[in-house]
Amino acid sequence: MATINATISINSDIMSYPIAINKTMTMKKLQSCTGLDETTGLRTKKFTSTTAAVIVEHDELTDDKAHKLYVRNASTDKTNYFFVAYNASAAATATTETIGKLYGGDWMLMPYDGNTNITVASNTTETQYLEYMVFADGVVAAAG
Amino acid sequence: MATTTATVSISSTDLIAGMPIALNATSTLMQTGLTTGLEIMDMGAGTLTEAGATDALHEALGTVDTANYVYLCNKSTDDDQYIVFGLHDTVIGRLGAGDWMFIPWNMSDADAEINIEAEPSGTIDYEYAIFKSTYTLPAKT
Repeated sequence: MATINATISINSDIMSYPIAINKTMTMKKLQSCTGLDETTGLRTKKFTSTTAAVIVEHDELTDDKAHKLYVRNASTDKTNYFFVAYNASAAATATTETIGKLYGGDWMLMPYDGNTNITVASNTTETQYLEYMVFADGVVAAAG
Repeated sequence: MATTTATVSISSTDLIAGMPIALNATSTLMQTGLTTGLEIMDMGAGTLTEAGATDALHEALGTVDTANYVYLCNKSTDDDQYIVFGLHDTVIGRLGAGDWMFIPWNMSDADAEINIEAEPSGTIDYEYAIFKSTYTLPAKT
């Protein structure tokens, strides 16, 4: 069993009193106290077109589990972004189901059931880099 | 202009033998396509009851296809309990006891509400914060 800890800190002065959210979790398997102990690895991909691309193939992962997906737009331009979608083929504005837009420097960490691909699409032909990693609650070995 | 920053640190010394993991990132959350900070937010807490149906945590009442961010935490301490998280009719993942999530949410269309559901039984306390570029209050009834 491995131990993977993830801590978030959100600070904001939107309201007239300071917002400070701090939370740490240890990533565990679904309905278990056992820690996640598999990953598909940390990957970096360079994008120079707006063509949609699958970054997580769900058939690598066990269905209906408590995987965690970390994605970061490693670029710095806040006017450019990646669509991130829970979808088999494409990532566009109203595609079912686009999750959101990850602007330069933005990151996300979300639960993922492993039932459908995760697809991204850059909004620009300018170079953007994406970093991503799945902390897996079950990796399916590739068929020979 | 308000300033909102979100920082994550992910670490493990034993997921991959001999290769400690230390991912760290900080983002300043901006309004859609701008270098102006977000100025609208909702924050709260509640209790979900397992009832075989899904509850909308937040309706997509802002401008479609904008920059918004969602933080959600499952406050349960019972490892058997989890929150099913989804957008409209699409289930995306299961948030276990003590887990948190942070995602961008572009309100891809007016039906792209955030849904949560307690499973498999009992009640689950949760906390959330949603940072938004735009938002329209519902009309009075």
